Amino acid sequence: MTSKIFKSILSAVIAVLAASLVIITGVMYRYFGTVQENQLKDELSLAAIATEQLGESYLENLKSNRYRLTWVAADGSVIFDSHADATAMENHAEREEIKEALAYGTGSSTRQSSTLTEQTIYEATRLDDGSVLRISVSRATALLLVLGMMQPIAIVIVIAILLSAWLAQRMAKHVVDPLNKLNLDKPMENDAYEELSPLLRRIHAQQMEIKNQMRILKHKQDEFEQITGNMKEALVLLDSAGKIFSINPAAKALFNIGDAYIGEDFLTVERKQNMRLALEQAKAQGHSDFRDKKNGKEYQFDLNRIDSDGKNQGVVILAFDITDRVNAEKHRREFTANVSHELKTPLQSIIGSAELMENGIVKEEDVPGFVGRIRKEASRLVMLIDDIIRLSQLDEGADMPHEDVSMLALAQEVRETLADAAKMKNISLNVSGDDGVINGVRRLLYEIIYNLCDNAIKYNNPDGSVEVSIMEDEGTVRLSVQDNGVGIAPEHQEKIFERFYRVDKSHSKQSGGTGLGLSIVKHAVQYHHGKIDISSEFGKGTLFLIEIPKDK
Amino acid sequence: MRNRFDEQLFELNREIIEMGAMCEEAIASAAKALSTGDTELAARVRENGSAIDQMERDIESRCMKLLLHQQPVARDLRLISAALKMITDMERIGDQAEDIAEIIEFLKDRKTVNVSVIEDMAREAVQMVTDSIDAFVKKDVALANKVLAHDDVVDTYFKKMKCDIIKLISEIPDDGEFALDLLMISKYFERIGDHATNIAEWVIYSVTGIHKEA
Repeated sequence: MTSKIFKSILSAVIAVLAASLVIITGVMYRYFGTVQENQLKDELSLAAIATEQLGESYLENLKSNRYRLTWVAADGSVIFDSHADATAMENHAEREEIKEALAYGTGSSTRQSSTLTEQTIYEATRLDDGSVLRISVSRATALLLVLGMMQPIAIVIVIAILLSAWLAQRMAKHVVDPLNKLNLDKPMENDAYEELSPLLRRIHAQQMEIKNQMRILKHKQDEFEQITGNMKEALVLLDSAGKIFSINPAAKALFNIGDAYIGEDFLTVERKQNMRLALEQAKAQGHSDFRDKKNGKEYQFDLNRIDSDGKNQGVVILAFDITDRVNAEKHRREFTANVSHELKTPLQSIIGSAELMENGIVKEEDVPGFVGRIRKEASRLVMLIDDIIRLSQLDEGADMPHEDVSMLALAQEVRETLADAAKMKNISLNVSGDDGVINGVRRLLYEIIYNLCDNAIKYNNPDGSVEVSIMEDEGTVRLSVQDNGVGIAPEHQEKIFERFYRVDKSHSKQSGGTGLGLSIVKHAVQYHHGKIDISSEFGKGTLFLIEIPKDK
Repeated sequence: MRNRFDEQLFELNREIIEMGAMCEEAIASAAKALSTGDTELAARVRENGSAIDQMERDIESRCMKLLLHQQPVARDLRLISAALKMITDMERIGDQAEDIAEIIEFLKDRKTVNVSVIEDMAREAVQMVTDSIDAFVKKDVALANKVLAHDDVVDTYFKKMKCDIIKLISEIPDDGEFALDLLMISKYFERIGDHATNIAEWVIYSVTGIHKEA
């Protein structure tokens, strides 16, 4: 802009300069021409008067190089010429100025010389005797004048151009300066040209709009990041080229990557074949999913193509941890298999005994024994089914009636129930401690104490002892069941709460349990938001410590 | 023009990663088939071999086109020339995985006497391949250097394996073929380790411009 302003100012100045030069030259030339003509006329009238009085002698004595005087007789023959031999000159009667002078008294004419650089001005006047006196002078043409003045003019032009260039530059700068100093960040605070204010207002309005939209966008982005940042599922958004557009913290943890992966090819993060195939499938068909192990956990990957206006905009990958679900499925399968097996065993025994009796193989005196076995197995079956029902109730989390229950009273009740079993192995079962009132489900709390005591008696040596003690604390009731029986080896301690888990698989029949007792205990304790601890040494005995809050 | 060049470089990078992943899977599957005796898996490895070959040709022609049309310089030139070298090594890895798979299919239910050493060796070789591809993906010179250092481990396993095979021959002299097959497999794994080393060296070259003298 500066250079444009500079150029236009400079060219205007040069144009004005050239025009004025031409005009001035023209005007001056004409003015001087007139002055010269007048001078010539004056000179002629003086010469005419002198010639009339003195005749040829005046002309001869007149030494003038400037003017040429020619005296022509009335018939046109030259009487005298100051610059040439008069006799050699041709007749001048036909010359324009002579003709005019002869006719009107005075005459004048201008004739271009052959070189164009000079012209000659003639003035003639008729004397009293009818002859004509002519004076002439040569003068340079305007062209020659200009050519002659070239040098000073050139100097003037150069100086003028330099001056105007300097001025033009300064002016251009001066004009542009306020524009350069415009503060576009705050358009309304500028105090520049008035003509700019619509533009500045427009800029201001647009800036406000941009700011507003940025704020909305930022807000939306924050919202999105808040949501994706806090979700447990891994979320990755890919653009249509397969580059990472967005990745949430869970996904970063899943793929073990840092922050610098936005805009990178997703292949650099995960290049496994199943992911590549799934991506291709998702791009082609819109959806794909697969399961894969990662970081020791099982994940379900769901891939969906994002379409917008019928164009593929990218792919969204969602991965969620299904380890628990897979484990639960596994447990359920194992449980089903175990249940079928456990239910089948007593039934086999019953069927076997019944068949033997049906075929009459059993002797009369053995029949009560067989019938007894059938009854025993059947009641075991009922026990098992009872346990399973109880467990499934706990699994379902069914609502059970809550009431204030004294743990001590429950423990004493259990002691009564198990007295016979304890007596058979000559085991002393002692209950002691505080009242320990808990607001809970009576039946479940009973199950806890019963199963623990039952186990303590079952897996005890003859003449052993079982100590049940209840301690009441500020907000909790602690129940401990200690025996000095066979104990549990460390490798089994983790697993004894699993369903159907048996430490000694070969003796399960002998001890007569269902394998579900401790599982029920665990669930019942969990139901009451309590916790269970076990410390045991193989061969020395076991201590179960249960802590249950008084209120749920 | 430049934009298109960048796009093509991006595609090249992606194809190399893809090819690397394919080799990785081929060799991992071969190693798995070796330890489990899964001949079906071995057969699948052999089927995938041609895909790796095709990939090599694709990448090669892409590199040539880039060199001819774009006349890349500096980093880009290094990436492309390193790519040309790397795919050769990758293709060799793929071939060797195929060869191992072939032997496994042939061995079928023959009892492998001492597979634990060869399994360890396979695991190390697979790890080297994975690390070298990872080094390329992340342009990680430190990881590439780790691969170079790791080659000794595989070499040591190979020596150990040789001793075991010699012992095996003296124990069951009738089963020379089996011993030879074992030797071949361990040699292949040793070579795979070398190829992984080469890849790692080219990764270092493409990042730093310095190629380690062999």
